[in-house]
Amino acid sequence: MLEIYSRHRPLALLAGAVLLQVLLLAFQVKREHNVRLIRVWAAELVTPVERAGTWTISKIGGVWTGYIALHGARTENARLRAENDVLRLRNQQLESEAGEAKRLNALLNFREAHTEAAMVAAQVIGASADPASHTLFINRGERDHVRRNMAVITPQGIVGKIVEVLPNNTSQVLLINDKDSGVGALFAATRTHGILKGTGDPDPILDYVVNDEKVQPGDFLTTSGEDRIFPKGLLIGSVSYAKQGNPFQVIHVQPAVRLDRLEDVLILVTQQELTPKKVEESADSSGADSESSDIVQSVAPPAPPAPQTKPAAKTPSPAKRPAQTAEPAAPADAPSTQ
Amino acid sequence: MLTTGVRSESNIEVHKYYSGAVILVAFLALVLQAFLHKYGRWSELLDLPLLVTIYFGVSRRNPVTGLLLGGVIGIIQDALSHGNPIGLYGIAKTLVGYLASSIGARFDTENPASRVILIFAFFHFHQIVYALTERVLLNRPESFFTLRLLLDSVVTALFGVLLFALLDRLRRPR
Repeated sequence: MLEIYSRHRPLALLAGAVLLQVLLLAFQVKREHNVRLIRVWAAELVTPVERAGTWTISKIGGVWTGYIALHGARTENARLRAENDVLRLRNQQLESEAGEAKRLNALLNFREAHTEAAMVAAQVIGASADPASHTLFINRGERDHVRRNMAVITPQGIVGKIVEVLPNNTSQVLLINDKDSGVGALFAATRTHGILKGTGDPDPILDYVVNDEKVQPGDFLTTSGEDRIFPKGLLIGSVSYAKQGNPFQVIHVQPAVRLDRLEDVLILVTQQELTPKKVEESADSSGADSESSDIVQSVAPPAPPAPQTKPAAKTPSPAKRPAQTAEPAAPADAPSTQ
Repeated sequence: MLTTGVRSESNIEVHKYYSGAVILVAFLALVLQAFLHKYGRWSELLDLPLLVTIYFGVSRRNPVTGLLLGGVIGIIQDALSHGNPIGLYGIAKTLVGYLASSIGARFDTENPASRVILIFAFFHFHQIVYALTERVLLNRPESFFTLRLLLDSVVTALFGVLLFALLDRLRRPR
């Protein structure tokens, strides 16, 4: 018997091992026991090594990503910097284009608001080489029916007049602050007339206003139409400084238009007077509303005379905005952008 | 290849290993099997504990140690799995260990081609035992053979040849 057992010992052991495990399985299934102890032992045996393995792999991964994989970082950094430069340049271009679109939108709104007057939009392409000469060159000329002494304006106010129409479809504009410029002007509130003269300085002066007239900083000036260049009622600017003089007051006028930052203008090809209209509502909702504000001044009733003429001050008085008609052209908005 | 012939008992060459090598390799196989699983499902293609059971079974050529090693590896594999009652892999690997030892004592298992066939055959034998145990004892519908299992067996067999060559280096020189 013993001999048989020793001869078949492996087979007997196999049968015993399998039987034992079958019983173990049956025990787990029937009694729904989980034999947790074996699982805990197995887990405690394996998990420390797994933990160490995970730690090692994470460290190796850290070394890899932190050092070895960074060998291309310099190249990538250079590439990204170059890309950043390109994108910044592109961003500047887009901003410039957005600004241009805004300006053109303002011009368009203005033109649509005054369809009764023929206008030609033009771009400023250059300025005078002479620092004492306040002139501009625009990209419109004979082919666009531009002629001398046509008024050049923007939605914010008047700019100047055409003094030369060149053959290469270019025209020269004499700005209102040039020393050779003269524009018939009148106060929007009091309807007092005067002549706006350029001095060569950024701000022109208003001449021929008697000392008896009450003039205050912030008073608005519009064109009188007497010069036969600018239609009556276009906004010129506001008084920035006024004092008594001999024989007339010394009045400095701040143009409603930033004459040193012009990019797009409108040429009035007729001298027809512009009737004040409200710009389309669509323009009001955009940021261009102030720029597209109508520069045309309505004939306002004269303001009651002030009891006394105050000395000129630098701060404009908001209370002295031009009076509006029943259909206001919102000139008060225009100077606020200046 | 298995056709190298049945050898007589006197020709049986029992390989000896450095002390602790068998336990260490078996332990590493279990750890790696559990560890690699979290780095992707590709590890499911391999059954490292089965490969180690087969290798040491055919190399040691001792059915008792073969079945014991297979049984212990299988039980630990069961214990490390979730939802498996302990004994499923244990029974299958006990039988694989025993059979591998018995076959290793009769056939040349040093040839890579014979190793591929051996591993491939043992893989499916292991699966059949495992599925049978599941069906009979646990009343679970486990497949005996699928295309996925075929792929697994091919991958395990090919990888096994490389692993066996590596494990051959752990043999103690005569």
